Amino acid sequence: MIGIQLAGNLTQGLILGGVYGMATMGLSLIFGVLGVVNVGHGAFIMIGAFTTLLLFTQLGLSPIIAIPVALVIGMALGFFFYYTVIIRLTEAPELASLLATFAIGTLLEESVKFTIGTEFRGYNWDVGKISLHITTLPMSKIYAFVGSILIALLLYLWFSKTRAGTAVRAVMQDRKGAGVCGVNVNWIYALSFAIGIGLTVTSGVLLTMFIPVGINPYMGGAYTLKAFVIAVLGGLASPYGAFFGGLIFGLIENGTYTLFALVPSLEPFAMTRFLSFLILLLILLIKPTGLLRAK
Amino acid sequence: MSSKIARYYPLIPVYAAYLILFLIGRNVTGMWQLMAMLVFYCAIGQAFNIFLGMTGYVDFGYVAFMGIGTYGMALSISHLYQIEGLGMWVILIGAVLAILMSGALSVAVGAVALRLRGAYFAIATIGVNEGFRFLIEGAKIWGGSEGIIFSGQFTHIFGRKTASLISTTWADIFVILVACLGAFVTLRFMLGKIGYALMALREDEDAAKVMGINVTKYKIIAFITSASLVGLVAAFAWGLKLTYLFPDEIFDISYTVECIIIVLLGGAGTLLGPVAGALIYGLSKYWLTIILPGFQLLIFAPIIIVIVVAFPEGVVGVLKRRVRGTVLEKFIV
Repeated sequence: MIGIQLAGNLTQGLILGGVYGMATMGLSLIFGVLGVVNVGHGAFIMIGAFTTLLLFTQLGLSPIIAIPVALVIGMALGFFFYYTVIIRLTEAPELASLLATFAIGTLLEESVKFTIGTEFRGYNWDVGKISLHITTLPMSKIYAFVGSILIALLLYLWFSKTRAGTAVRAVMQDRKGAGVCGVNVNWIYALSFAIGIGLTVTSGVLLTMFIPVGINPYMGGAYTLKAFVIAVLGGLASPYGAFFGGLIFGLIENGTYTLFALVPSLEPFAMTRFLSFLILLLILLIKPTGLLRAK
Repeated sequence: MSSKIARYYPLIPVYAAYLILFLIGRNVTGMWQLMAMLVFYCAIGQAFNIFLGMTGYVDFGYVAFMGIGTYGMALSISHLYQIEGLGMWVILIGAVLAILMSGALSVAVGAVALRLRGAYFAIATIGVNEGFRFLIEGAKIWGGSEGIIFSGQFTHIFGRKTASLISTTWADIFVILVACLGAFVTLRFMLGKIGYALMALREDEDAAKVMGINVTKYKIIAFITSASLVGLVAAFAWGLKLTYLFPDEIFDISYTVECIIIVLLGGAGTLLGPVAGALIYGLSKYWLTIILPGFQLLIFAPIIIVIVVAFPEGVVGVLKRRVRGTVLEKFIV
């Protein structure tokens, strides 16, 4: 009985993990290219979630349409914040960019709180479900999973096949060297930041499939923490590492939830949140360069 | 001799500010609460500055230390109230417990995270607050998510009249004293070996290491000091004042944001900075509460961005440059 339940939860965890992974790729891309840790990461996920919610409830558009809309909004925000703030901080001490991205996150949260309010909201996109022997999966979650894999693949193709993607990889490896070879480093920074934010906002669309009534201006905080655990699992500067880190994290989160639920004196949901913090500390203690990809 | 005393002149404007706040609060009707809030911001600003200002590291989970400090006071009062004759000692035990508990948490976090460089440290601290809160709620420690309500026990110890006097007046006076202590500790650090070591590591950690400075040790000293001080502030300002606590309120990340705003606004790494930042922030918040309640962070988030980008020295940093070469130089550090 518990075996079936565990298998079911792990399946759910894998599906969710794929979306987690995609939700972290933007963070890793930005750190890998610019060396900036986006502490306001979760707030951008929240923007994606609200985009989906508003398109669905106000205009009746399906979340599939919200994906390109979120990507455009995200990239616009990315370019905006890059040219107004981040551009001045790439050479400054780390503290400056940490504080600035944190403030950007707070600004987004407070703006949404100001315009929409703090109540928890949600929407219901019913597109049927599949019953497996071990668990029942709503189709919306499967679409989200497939969507994250497709987006991760597209990013991979963009990186390996296009000129701009190659230039981004060149800057990741050696900024000065890339500049000497004629790469416009500043433009690559702007583009990477915009794509990173675009991916993050898009991931907010996919994540709404997993939180029926959890859309709120402050929802991002939890995802910031999870994204850092995942990014550190995957080696922080590697977007693919992040994707696989997400899969592992999804499995850990749902697997341990099942186990924590067996202990009557524990509140399993809160314990999984504590566990993610513990994992973060442990990885930083043992192998700060990430488990999946050593530098 | 006189030069030794002169080194402590910078405390004069800080203490003068606290004294003025206290006097306004005592003598102008209806101002006590506002003054208490301003002193609270000064106190948490002073404590936060010892870490962020002196090391250049930022702790995004700082409010966790305030939360655990509040638990120190709550546990002392709610467990020891039956022992007769303890009286005021309960508060002292609560204060000591607050220092020990927030200190212990900072040792645990610092021992892991402070071995790492800036970005990784910041990443590790993001989870401290959430992680700790969810441990308390998840494992149902100390009442779990229901918190601790100890007003009954508190009244049991002191009687209704004294209890209310402690909550409404003495709790705030204790906060002022901790704020004084914070300023004193900051100046001691600045004048002593610790200050030089921290300055060296803030400018260039590798160089400091090569010169034989045990950077991890000094970072941890600053971290523990900062954490214990803020734990003590919260024990008084939240524990003793409200006589109840709920985990979701005392681990609210917006206090971390407030600490960051106060220190940056005033000038990180300066002695007078947190006071200036606290006054500017506290008064604006008070004013904004009237015209736009609950949205002070909407106003201040872009202000942080502007400070970081355009004038990272803060108000006192700029002031310090202005008064260089004048009599005031000795007083503004």
